[in-house]
Amino acid sequence: MTTAQGSAIAFQERAGIRRTTNAIRQYALPILIALVFVIASIVVPQFLSFQTIRAILLATAVTGIIAAGMTAITLSGNLFSLGVTASVVLSGVIYISVGSATGNIFVGALAAVLAALVVGIAQGFIVGLGLNPVVVTLAAGAIIYGATAIITGGEVVAARSRELGRFATFAIVGIPLPVFVLVAFTALAWFVTERTRIGRNVHLLGSNKETARNSGISFMGTTIWAFVIFAVGLGVAAVLQVSQTLQVQADNFPELTMNVVAAVLVGGTAVTGGDGSPIKSVIGALFIATVTQIMVLVGVPQGTRYFVLGVIVVVLVVTLHLLRKAGSR
Amino acid sequence: MNATARYRLEATGISKSYGAVNALTDVHIALLPGQVMALLGENGAGKSTIVKIISGLVSHDEGTILIDGEEVQLNTVNASQAAGIAVVQQEFSTVGTLTVAENLVLGQRGAPWWWGPRKLNRSAEAILARVGLEGLDPSTLVEKLSVAEMQLVEIARVLAKDAKIVIFDEPTAALSDAEIERVLTVVKRLAAEGRSIIYVTHRLGEVFEIADQVVIFRNGRSQPPQKVSDLTVDKVVTMMIGRELGDLYPDRAEAMGEVVLETRGLKVAGMRGEVNLKLRRGEILGLTGQLGSGTTEIMKAIAGTEDVLGGTIELDGAPLDLHGRRRGITSGIAYCSPDRKKDGIFRGVTIRQNLSSPWLRRVSRLGVVNRKQENTEAVESASRFAIDKTRMNALVGNLSGGNQQKVAVGKWLGIRPRVLLVEEPTRGVDVGARAEIYAQLRRLCESGVGVIVSSSDTNEVLGLSDTIATYYRGTQTAYKPASQWTEPELVREVMHREEVTT
Repeated sequence: MTTAQGSAIAFQERAGIRRTTNAIRQYALPILIALVFVIASIVVPQFLSFQTIRAILLATAVTGIIAAGMTAITLSGNLFSLGVTASVVLSGVIYISVGSATGNIFVGALAAVLAALVVGIAQGFIVGLGLNPVVVTLAAGAIIYGATAIITGGEVVAARSRELGRFATFAIVGIPLPVFVLVAFTALAWFVTERTRIGRNVHLLGSNKETARNSGISFMGTTIWAFVIFAVGLGVAAVLQVSQTLQVQADNFPELTMNVVAAVLVGGTAVTGGDGSPIKSVIGALFIATVTQIMVLVGVPQGTRYFVLGVIVVVLVVTLHLLRKAGSR
Repeated sequence: MNATARYRLEATGISKSYGAVNALTDVHIALLPGQVMALLGENGAGKSTIVKIISGLVSHDEGTILIDGEEVQLNTVNASQAAGIAVVQQEFSTVGTLTVAENLVLGQRGAPWWWGPRKLNRSAEAILARVGLEGLDPSTLVEKLSVAEMQLVEIARVLAKDAKIVIFDEPTAALSDAEIERVLTVVKRLAAEGRSIIYVTHRLGEVFEIADQVVIFRNGRSQPPQKVSDLTVDKVVTMMIGRELGDLYPDRAEAMGEVVLETRGLKVAGMRGEVNLKLRRGEILGLTGQLGSGTTEIMKAIAGTEDVLGGTIELDGAPLDLHGRRRGITSGIAYCSPDRKKDGIFRGVTIRQNLSSPWLRRVSRLGVVNRKQENTEAVESASRFAIDKTRMNALVGNLSGGNQQKVAVGKWLGIRPRVLLVEEPTRGVDVGARAEIYAQLRRLCESGVGVIVSSSDTNEVLGLSDTIATYYRGTQTAYKPASQWTEPELVREVMHREEVTT
C-alpha cells in the first residue's frame, strides 16, 4: 500500500471517529439525565412526585438562568464570573428593600436587575482592559459581599409582606412562574448568542482573540456585552431566589457560584471559549439539580452531597474534554 | 561497519509530507566530525523541516538517519538529545526570570538538584567562558541581558549538554553585525573542538565566513553538497533560485489608476528610517526584506494595529487617523496577517462565519444578523476565491493550508476594500493554491483595489509585484518598478547588503 492510500484511509477513519465522538458529546447529557430519572423513579421512593419535580424545577430555574447568562462569558473566552453568590445576595437585598418600601414587586425586581447590571458592567469593563477574569470577578465578589454585609449590618433582611413572594408562588397550570422565566430567558440567551451580531462576536472572540482583533471585533465591547447578558440573568434569578425564601443574609447561597460553573462545564461549553450554548448549560443545571434532589430524598448529609457532586462534575468534565479532543483531531 | 562510518551524521533518502504537501523529497545530508555545513534555500524549500526531523520534533516518512554509522530513530526530542544532537533555536528558550546559571542547568541531568547557587554559578562560569561570556556574572537574570548575550547563553545551554552535533537555526536573525561576529566566533570554536555543526541561515556573508560545505535546498529537495571554496555569491544565488519565473504568476498591471494610499515620512516602532510609499489603484506593491527588516511593522501601521509615531498615511488624499482595526476596516483597508493560524482565521468556526466576520455589521439589522444575506454574500466571496461553495459549514481548521489562506484573504472581499494588505500570502501553501491566490490578488487589483504584499520570498515578490520596495534592518533601501529588478539583484539587496557588496 502506498503512503497516499494509507493516509487517505486513515483520514476516513479519523473522520468516522470524529463523527461518533461528536454525536456522543451532543446527546450524552440528555441521555444521562433520562437514565438518572428512570433509575431514581424506580429506586427512590417519592421521587416521582409533584413535590420533587417542582423542587427540581425551581432549583434548576435559579441555577439555570444564571448559567445560561454565564455561558456568554465562557463563550467569549473570559472563563467564568466567580462572584455569583455575592451579586445574587446584593440583588436580593435590593429586591426586598425596594419592593418593601414601594410596595411594588415590579419596581423591586427592576431595581434588583439594574443593580446586577451596574456591578456586571463594571466587572466587564475591568476584564475588557485585559485583566484576568477569574481574579477580577473573585475580587469583585469579595467587595460586593463585604459591602452588602456592612450595609445590612450582617443582619437578615426579611420581606415585610408575603406579597414579595408572588414571583415564586404564582403558577400557571400548576407549573411555577420561575420555570416559565427559565424557558423565556434561555430562549432569549440562545437568540442573542446565536442570531445577533453581538452573539456572533462573542463566539468569534472566544474562538480566537487575535483574529477577532484583526477582524475589527472589539475585545472591550464584546466582553462588556457578555457581562451584560450574564448580569441580566443574574438579577432575574436573584429575584426568583429571594421570592422563594422571602429573606436574605450576606452569607446566603454559598454553593451557588460553584453550581453555576458546574452547570456550564457539565453542559459541555468549552472553557477555552467559542464552543457551547446557553441551552446546554441549562441542561447541565437540570442534571445537577436532579442529582442533588435525589441525594436529599435519600437522606445523604450535606458534606457527602458536595463530595459526590464534585466527583460527578470532574468525571463528566474530563470525559467531555477528552471527547472534544478526539472530535477535533 | 562500512565506509560511511566516518560520517558523524548521515541522512539518506529522507522524505516527509504533510497531508498532500511534500515538504521533503529524497534529501541527503552527510556531515563529518568538526565540519560546519550551511543549509541554504528559499522559504519553504525544506531547511526547517530537515532540522525538525533531526531534532526529533517531527518524524520522517521515508529514509534512514545514521549517527556514527549506526541507524537511529529520532522520533522524540529526547531520543534526539540522547543521540548527541542539540539545537540552538531562533526563538529563545531561556527563562527570563531565572538566572543565567539556572538557565544553563534547566532540563538536563548534569547538575544534581541539591546543588546550591554557589556551586551552580561555578560550574556555569566554565561553560560561559567557552562561548565568550567570561565577564558575565552567572547570577544575572536572563531578562537583563542583551539579545546577543541571550543568544550566547542559549548556545551555552547547548554546550552544557555536551552535544556531538549542534544545529543552529538562523541564530543571527535578530542580531547586529558586531553581535553576529561573537556568535560566529563561538561556532568556529565549537567546530574546532570536533563537534559537527549544521548552520541554517539566510545571510550569505556568514556562510562564506564559517562554513566548509554548503547544501542548497530547493522545492523540498537537497542539491549535492558543494565546497565553499568552490563557490561564489552569484553561483549560490543562482542555485537557490534554480528556475525561471514561470506561469505561476499572472501578468503585471497594464495600467494603473490614481494614487489610493500614500505614506509620507511614516515612522513606526521598530523601523529606523522613514517610510515613503505611493500605492495606485490596480497596483501590486511588494515589500520585501528578511526577518526583522520592518515590513511587518509597516503593514500593521497601515492596518491600524500598530501605533504611528510620526508622519501621515493618506487614503484618497485624506489623512487617516487609525486607532485599532475597526476604523481601518470602515475606511476599506483589508489586512491579512502573516500567521493565519495565530491571527488570520477562526479555526473552530465555519467557512461562512469566517468569511462574514469583518462585515457582519453590514448584514445586520438592529443587531440581528440577516442570515440569508450573510450566506448570499459569503457564497459570493467564496466563489470569487475558488472556495468550495458546498462546504460553507465546514470548520476552517479542517481545511488545507491553501484553502485556509483563501478564506483568510477572501473574508475581506465583503468590506469592499480599497486597499488590501497581505503579509506572506502563500506561506505553507502548495504550488497549485499559490497560483490561484496570485491570480485572485491580480484580479482584485484589476477591479481597482490597491494591493500591498509583504513577503520574505523574493521570487514571489518579483513575480507578483508591479513595484518593489526593499527593507534591511528597519530602513527602506530601494523602491523601484519590478521591471528594473532581476532576481539575483533582489536577493542580494535583501539578504546581504553590507556583507557581500565588497
